[in-house]
Amino acid sequence: MEGDTLWFKDAIIYEVHVRVFLDSNNDGIGDFPGLTLKLDYLQELGINTIWLLPFYPSPLRDDGYDIADYTAVHPQYGTMDDFKTFLAEAHRRNIRVVTELVMNHTSDQHPWFQAARSSRENPKRDWYVWSDTDEGYKDARIIFTDTERSNWSWDPATKSYYWHRFFSHQPDLNFDNPAVREEIWNVMKFWLDIGVDGFRLDAVPYLFEREGTSCENLPETHEVLRDFRKRMDDAYPGKMLLAEANQWPADVSAYFGQGDEFHMAFHFPLMPRMFMAITLEDRKPIVEILQQTPPIPDNCQWCIFLRNHDELTLEMVTDVERDYMYDEYASEKNMRLNVGIRRRLAPLMENDRRCIELLHGLLLSMPGTPVVYYGDEIGMGDNVYLGDRNGVRTPMQWNGGWNAGFSGADPEQLFSPLISNPVYGYQSTNVLSQQRTHHSLLSFMKRVISIRKASRVFSRGTIEFLHPANHRVLAYVRELGTEQILVVNNLANSAQAVELDLSRHKGRIPIEMEGRNLFPRIGDLPYLLTLGPYQFYWFRLRKI
Amino acid sequence: MSEETFLTDDFVGQLMSVGEVDLLVGIATHNHAKTIGNLVRTIEECLVQSFPRERIVIVNADGGSRDDTQGILLRAAPPESKNARGLTSLRTMHRISTRYANAPSPGLALRTILASAELLRTKACAIVSPENSQPACGWVTSLLRPAFQDHFDFVAPLYTRNKFDGLLARNLLYPMSRAVFGQRIRELHSGEFGFSGRLASHCLSQTVWHEEVVRAWPEYWMAISAVSGGFRCCQSYLGVKGRTETTPDLVAAIRQTVGTLFWCLEKQSDFWMDRADSEIVPTFGPDHELAPTTSRVNRKKLLEMFRDGISGLEQILNSVLHAGTFAEIKRLAALNDGFDYPDDLWARTLYEFAASYHHGVLNHDHLIQALVPLYRGRIYSFLMQHQESSPEEMETGTEHLCMEMERQKPYLMELWKSNSEVKP
Repeated sequence: MEGDTLWFKDAIIYEVHVRVFLDSNNDGIGDFPGLTLKLDYLQELGINTIWLLPFYPSPLRDDGYDIADYTAVHPQYGTMDDFKTFLAEAHRRNIRVVTELVMNHTSDQHPWFQAARSSRENPKRDWYVWSDTDEGYKDARIIFTDTERSNWSWDPATKSYYWHRFFSHQPDLNFDNPAVREEIWNVMKFWLDIGVDGFRLDAVPYLFEREGTSCENLPETHEVLRDFRKRMDDAYPGKMLLAEANQWPADVSAYFGQGDEFHMAFHFPLMPRMFMAITLEDRKPIVEILQQTPPIPDNCQWCIFLRNHDELTLEMVTDVERDYMYDEYASEKNMRLNVGIRRRLAPLMENDRRCIELLHGLLLSMPGTPVVYYGDEIGMGDNVYLGDRNGVRTPMQWNGGWNAGFSGADPEQLFSPLISNPVYGYQSTNVLSQQRTHHSLLSFMKRVISIRKASRVFSRGTIEFLHPANHRVLAYVRELGTEQILVVNNLANSAQAVELDLSRHKGRIPIEMEGRNLFPRIGDLPYLLTLGPYQFYWFRLRKI
Repeated sequence: MSEETFLTDDFVGQLMSVGEVDLLVGIATHNHAKTIGNLVRTIEECLVQSFPRERIVIVNADGGSRDDTQGILLRAAPPESKNARGLTSLRTMHRISTRYANAPSPGLALRTILASAELLRTKACAIVSPENSQPACGWVTSLLRPAFQDHFDFVAPLYTRNKFDGLLARNLLYPMSRAVFGQRIRELHSGEFGFSGRLASHCLSQTVWHEEVVRAWPEYWMAISAVSGGFRCCQSYLGVKGRTETTPDLVAAIRQTVGTLFWCLEKQSDFWMDRADSEIVPTFGPDHELAPTTSRVNRKKLLEMFRDGISGLEQILNSVLHAGTFAEIKRLAALNDGFDYPDDLWARTLYEFAASYHHGVLNHDHLIQALVPLYRGRIYSFLMQHQESSPEEMETGTEHLCMEMERQKPYLMELWKSNSEVKP
C-alpha cells in the first residue's frame, strides 16, 4: 500500500454505506464485521478503494451526514475495534479506504452545538453562525428546496437564528473561528492515525459566509482547504482529499488549486450528460461538457460516477436539459427530489443491460477515477416510495434467500425494506445468481474492471475526441506515452456505421481488448466500424 | 436493370451519419452565397428555441452554385445562443449538403429533399426559400409545428402582403385552385411550406418527376397532391412577405404557374370532378393580411398590352374561347376609357382556357401564353377598381371572385367532359 502518492488516479472506487452491506449480528442493520466478511467479494469484483459513507454517531436524520461525534463509530455499526479490523483486512487485500468528513456542519445533537445554543455566552457559541435576524446572506441559494424555506432557523433557547446550508438540524460550523479549524484538523489526524487513506470532504463550497456573495466557493474556503492539505501532506504523505462540490467544472477546478488543495473532485455536470447522451442518442452533451472542463494540475484527477447515494442531481444542467431529464427519467413525481432524480442506475435504464453496460463502459474509459455505487454492479433496483433518498439505500442483495442474505433478523427488523418486486427484487437480482453465470452483469463488471486496470492509459492518459460525422457514435483515443487505446461507443438503440479519422495512427493494428482479436490495420482511408445497438469497443492500438 | 438513383454516394453517406430525425428543413439553393449564411443561422436559432429536444437536420440541395453557397452553409457559425456556461442545445444540429446537378432544377431539388426526408424517417419538414436571408424566427416553427405536433400533412403559408403584391395569386391561382380542388388555401403555390413525412413519401413515390412542369414548379404539384390525395391540410401564418429584388417576368411566371395548374387539373380530374363548393381549412395564427400600399404598376402600359394582345392573338383566342366570351372581351378592349373585367367573364375566360388545354386545342405553351394579355386586362381592371380600396374591400372582392368561380365550376366540368373543343 505504500509508494505511489498518485494511487488515487488508478483507483476504482466502490461507494458503500456500512449499514446496507451485511448484518453480522442479526439486528437488521449492516455493520463493520459484516462489511469485513464481504471484502473478498469486493476484491473479486476488482475495485481497489472503498468509500465509506458516514458511520459516526448520529441521530441519523440525514443518513449519518448529521454527525454527533466525529471520532467514534455509531454503535449500530460496531465498535472502533471492528472498524480497525475492517481497515486492516481491506489493506491486506490492497484495498484502500476513504471515509467521509462532513466539515461544513454538524448535527444539532453534536455536543458542540448543544453547548453553543445553551447560552449566548458559551465558549462554543462562536463555533456556529448566529444572527438576531434571518436577513443575512440573502444571495445564498437554498439547496434542499423540497424541505427548507430559509438558510436560517430560529433557536428558541437563545432567541436567535443559526445558519445552515442544508437541513435545519445541520447547523453550519463557523470556519472564521480558528478553534473550529483546529478541531477539524484534529478530527482528520484522528482518522489518519488509525490508517484511513483519505477523506471525501462533504459540501466544501459552503464553509464561509460573506454578505453580498452566494456564500459558495469563497477565497477563504480555498485558504482553509490549502492549509489542511499542507498539514496532511507534511504529516501523512500519500493520503488523499476528494472534494464534493456540486458546481460547474470551471468552479470546481479551483478546488484543485495549484495542485495544493484537493487531489480529486467529483465532476458533477458530466454525470447527467452521460444519461442524456444515451436518451438523445447524441454525443453532444458529453463532448460539450468535457470541452468546457478546464485542464487540472498533473497531480490531480477528476472523480466520475454514474450514480451515488444522493439523487441524480440536476443542478449543473440548463433548464432545457433539466426538463428533458425529468421527462425522460422521472415521469412520476415521487421519483423527483430537490433538484434531481432519486433513482438507481438499472431502473433509470429500464433494466436494459446494453445501456447499463455502455454506461459502465463510458465510466471506466473516460478520464477520471470511476466510482461504482454499491449494488449497481448487479443492477439493483430502487424504491421510490421510501422517503428522502432512502430508496437508493436499501440492503445489498446477496442471494435469493432470507432477507436476501443481508441479515438473519426478522424482515420487519431491517433498517429498510428490501427490494422485492419481480424485476429488481432480491429473488431475481442478487450476487449469488450472477456469480453463477459468465454472462451476468456482475461478470461483465468484473471483466471490464479487470481490463481497465490492465492499462494505466485509462487512469492517467490524455483524451482526444474524434469527430466522426455520425453523431450517435462517441469515439476517443486515450494515450499515455507510446500506448494508445481507441474507445468507440454507439449511443444509439440501433446499429450504426461510423468512419473514424485515424490517420494519426496509421499503421497500427487495433486489438479489441476483451476478446483480444485483431482488427484490420489502420490505413489511409477512414476506418470503418459497425456497432450494434449500445455496443462499445475498446481497442489497443498496437504498433507491430 | 438497376433502378435509377439520383442521390450521390457522398450524400447517402451524409444521410447515414445523420440517422433518423424528427424535423427536416430543406433549402434549395443556386448561387445564394449572400443570403445562405444568415439564413441557416436564423433557422438554427429558431429550431433550438422551438424544438430543443427534437432531432433536426438542415438539408441543402444545391443546383450547381459557383459562389461557394454550399461551403458557406456548412461553415456558417452556429447561432450565438450559448448560455453562461458555454452550453448550447441538447442535440447535435446537423447540416448536410449535396449538389444534385450542375444547373438548378427545382423539381430535382425537391425530390432530393423528399428522398432525404424518407430515408431519415422524418416526421415533419419545411421548405424555406434561400432568397430570404432574415426570416422571422417564427417562420420555420410555424411551418413545422402543425405537421409535427398536430399531424397535418401539408402546411401552406399565409403572409401579410403589400396591397398589390401577389396579384397573380389573388386573381387566378387562389380562386381557381379553390374552386376546382375545393380547399380554401391561399398560398398553394408558395415556395415555402411544411409537410409531413407521410406526404413526402407519397410524393416521392409518384412517377411524375420527369414531367417538365414538376421539374420546373414542383411545389404547386405537391400541394395539389396533398389536397387531392386526402391528406390533412392547413394554413399557418408566417408574417410579412418580403419583396424579391428581381422584377418577375410575367410571361414566364404565367407559363410556369398556370401551366402547372392546368397540368394538375389534367392529372387530378378524377378528384375534382366529384367535388362541389370549397372547404375552409384549419388556420394557425391570423388569417391572410394586407398592408396598405399604393400601386407601382404602370396601368397605361397594361392596357396597351391588353389591347395589342387581343388584336395580335385574335386567331388563337378565337380557337380557345367561346365566341360570346371573346366578343365580350373584345368589347372591353375597344372601350376608350377604363373598363371593368368582371368576375363572371374572368371565370369563364379561365375555364375555357383550362378546357382548351385539356382538349389540346393548341400547343400547351402557346395556349398559356395567349392568356397573358387577358390576364393583363384583368389586372388593369382590378387596379382601377381597387385603387382606393381598403384591405377589407379587396378581400371582399377576392371572395366574390372565388364564389363566382365556384358557381361556374359546373361550366368547366361541362366543357371538360365535352368531346370537342370549346369553340362551337
